[in-house]
Amino acid sequence: MIPRRILTALLIGASAWFATLKAEQPTAAYQERDFLTRVRRLTVEGRRAGEGYWSPDGKRLVFQSEREAGNPFYQIYVLDMASGETKRISTGIGKTTCAFFRPGSDEIEFASTHADPKSKQYQDDELAFRASGKERRYSWDYDPEMDIYAYSETTGAMKRLTTVRGYDAEGSYSPDGQWIAFSSMRDAYNRTLSDAEQKQLQTDPSFFAEIYIMKADGSGQKRLTNVPGYDGGPFFTQDGKKIVWRRFDEKGLIADVWTMNPDGSEQKQITDFGSMSWAPYMHPSGAYYFFASNKLGFENFEVFIVDAAGAKEPVRVTYTDGFDGLPVPSPDGKQLAWTSTRSGGGAGQLFLAQWNHEKAVEALKAAPAKKSSKKS
Amino acid sequence: MMVQNKPQSAQNSRRLTTSSWLRGFVVSCLIAVGGNVAAQSPTRRHVETLASPGLEGRLAGSPGEKLASDYIVGELSKIGAKPLPGKSSFLVPFEFTAGTKDGGSTVTLGGEELKAPAVRALSFSDNGTVDGAVVFAGYGIVVPEGQSFSYDSYTTLDVKDKIVVVLRYFPEEAEAKTKQVLSRYADLRYKAMAARQHGAKAMIVVTGPNSPNAGELAPMTFDTALAGSGIVAVTINGDAANRMFTSGGKKLADAQKALDDANPHATGFALPNVTARIHAEVIREKRTGHNVLAYLPATTATTGVTKPWVAIGAHYDHLGHGEAGNTLAGKEDLNKVHFGADDNASGSAAVLAIAADLAKPARRRNVLMAWWSGEELGLLGSNAFASAAPGSNVAMDQIAAYLNFDMVGRMQDNKLTVQAAGSSPTWKKLLEQANIAAGFDLVVQDDPYQPTDVATFNGASVPSLTFFTGTHPDYHKPSDTADKIDFDDLDRIVGFAAAIVKRVSDADAPPQFTKVEQQMQGGGGRGGVRIFTGTIPDYASDVKGLLLGGVIGGGPAEAAGLQKGDVIVEIAGQTIANIYDYTYALDVLKIGQPAKVVYLRGGKRMETTLTPAARK
Repeated sequence: MIPRRILTALLIGASAWFATLKAEQPTAAYQERDFLTRVRRLTVEGRRAGEGYWSPDGKRLVFQSEREAGNPFYQIYVLDMASGETKRISTGIGKTTCAFFRPGSDEIEFASTHADPKSKQYQDDELAFRASGKERRYSWDYDPEMDIYAYSETTGAMKRLTTVRGYDAEGSYSPDGQWIAFSSMRDAYNRTLSDAEQKQLQTDPSFFAEIYIMKADGSGQKRLTNVPGYDGGPFFTQDGKKIVWRRFDEKGLIADVWTMNPDGSEQKQITDFGSMSWAPYMHPSGAYYFFASNKLGFENFEVFIVDAAGAKEPVRVTYTDGFDGLPVPSPDGKQLAWTSTRSGGGAGQLFLAQWNHEKAVEALKAAPAKKSSKKS
Repeated sequence: MMVQNKPQSAQNSRRLTTSSWLRGFVVSCLIAVGGNVAAQSPTRRHVETLASPGLEGRLAGSPGEKLASDYIVGELSKIGAKPLPGKSSFLVPFEFTAGTKDGGSTVTLGGEELKAPAVRALSFSDNGTVDGAVVFAGYGIVVPEGQSFSYDSYTTLDVKDKIVVVLRYFPEEAEAKTKQVLSRYADLRYKAMAARQHGAKAMIVVTGPNSPNAGELAPMTFDTALAGSGIVAVTINGDAANRMFTSGGKKLADAQKALDDANPHATGFALPNVTARIHAEVIREKRTGHNVLAYLPATTATTGVTKPWVAIGAHYDHLGHGEAGNTLAGKEDLNKVHFGADDNASGSAAVLAIAADLAKPARRRNVLMAWWSGEELGLLGSNAFASAAPGSNVAMDQIAAYLNFDMVGRMQDNKLTVQAAGSSPTWKKLLEQANIAAGFDLVVQDDPYQPTDVATFNGASVPSLTFFTGTHPDYHKPSDTADKIDFDDLDRIVGFAAAIVKRVSDADAPPQFTKVEQQMQGGGGRGGVRIFTGTIPDYASDVKGLLLGGVIGGGPAEAAGLQKGDVIVEIAGQTIANIYDYTYALDVLKIGQPAKVVYLRGGKRMETTLTPAARK
């Protein structure tokens, strides 16, 4: 699970630091069933699954899952909500992540390393490592060979949209289907790095990740952010007027949800928990963003909502131990798909629930003004 | 009561024809639900009928079982199901032992005949009289090879054609880890097998003076076996044992003391010049239970279809009035009717409703429907089916898959537990597909070794699943009633399972079988457990630790302040990750000795002290 909306390197080594944060008690005004009803597990097969995104008609979900023998990495699948049938659309080779339906077309974008000749070797190495009885903590390695492709559901053809060295992934389309916002680490490869930067690249390449935008055919690639630290997971708002993403601090420990115009102007911080707040996605009403944060415990991510202006204190939505994140509302705003470890076993699976929009609006209205994490 | 009145009540039930009895029932049913016929779910009538007072808890072999099977047969006729090929009836009988009692067993020692209350046969004893020299074989435990250490009570003894005296339980002062291993081989049946394999003619069991229940007879446990286990086996009280030892110039207390630290070099000994005559007589009350077996024939020729059967099943028997000893009723509820609405009128109703769903559309495979009896007494009905003579039943190797339903009427928070999913690599894909429409919060578990009929099919290499909505405080109590059943969700389970059966039935290739390794091994079973903690584990849980589905009223766990929803993570210094850890940890506890329990309540770590009691 999780690149677009990270985790990974951050979980390693940082837990001691986070443990010193005082876990805040929730205001306990709500419980999960106030917002989410008919909670159900969507994916069962395979080791893990996550990052489910809706088709514009709400009838299908595209997601990533590790579920086929021979490849220990994520591949991309489309789930038909009427038949329950699941179909792989990626090549089966290498690592993939972060798929998204292109509105008004037959295309689905996702990032993949299948063009790297070493892909198969990496698969075999990982399988051999697992066969030795060891299990590494899940980590995302920001493979510099990761590039964004557009897959045609009609022809099965794959069109490569990015070519430069460096991790290109975490893409999503604008509502009119004409633009893709994405995250790239190309800046670490297209210039001479200082010694300090070189060291940084080895320990945590995500430091170099910035938000970019390009046309849906891959042309006109343009950088939108220029701040040290991981910028990733961009999505357009439902009206296409803003991009919402998450920005990490330089140390990669604290993240917050930010918004900007699609030209990069008016960058504005929305959340301020002083914890890892990420994976933002706007509700189709335009009234609020979903996001996930580990405010309540380093490994206990919960889903929150925050008003579009970021004026109020966010409201907690999930109340289950473990990971709850990557929240994505259905196009009609009545359902929520997200990734959770609540079925046990430690690996994420996709879940779906009915979403109580009215209750969410009411809770946000009643929320107090935003507090700052800087205050003592 | 039912046991004694069996012949007469059976006649009565025969006089009540199915239709007249049903008519009477349906009227009362309509009154009960306020005449709201239109809104009735397809499973409601089945559950309310099967769990109604007139069926008296559907004990296997009882008139209540007969009434229940009559009802199911009536429903089968409505949907056009047929008796199995070659059979003229839906009812397939099997014989079992419904109860045992002592028929006057004696031990003759030095010319003196000891009898009740000093002597009693063990329930699994052969009937007969044997004479022989007496050898004390310590605890009579043989740990099979491959365990962490070896222990063999017979290693230096010659017991061929002799009578062995063994102590009940296992060495009392052994280290915790040693106890964990020994306890698994301390079941009396297992000890009898070891004695028999070493050539002993008979086994006498004594509860040692240093053990819980010191000097008492071992209980005559409920045992459904049709015959003895190949050896004469009796239990004698402390007085009789002391006399036997004294006549050989030995002391029982000293003999036990020498063994109690489990030193493998401490051995038993022959009792010099002591001979005895053992007469054992167990009266086994034989009964006949009935599986209800039916099928919906494939709608096209099955020639060329690999494994042309797919099976669904549920046990329809329950505990009657609790007379078989497996009730959890409190003292005030003893002998009341155990309605068994969830366990397992719910599963029986589900199978009826699934069959009705499947009756109309086309089928490539025959659909076998089974309602098992004798499940509560030890999976008797499904085992009778599995071990039936070739040709008399559908052969197990012709069954593509088996879906079992046991306790599916009490869904909470949309959670449906599906167990035995490890029995085929196909299951997870199928469950995922079918659940997209059904929409359950599925809890999927691989382990097929579940305490229900699915274990029988898994044991016969049939890919299997069993559906379960979780345990609850009414489990095995008279309070498991139909008004607590969640019919909406039961009906959703029917739709979900029917979709899975359809997919299996229509598939070219049957699901492949995968053998799941059993996590807990050992010949001892639960017979070695002497500790009573009063916890009700939630078997459906995947949490790390032992999630409590409830606590038994008045038991040690309740006294310790534990409650439903608590997760035990440590007991007596042993960390608990799962139910197996917990079972092993029980061996380490001492009766009457307080043990520290660490548990999670609402995510918060808490501690209490639990004082285990003796399990009688």
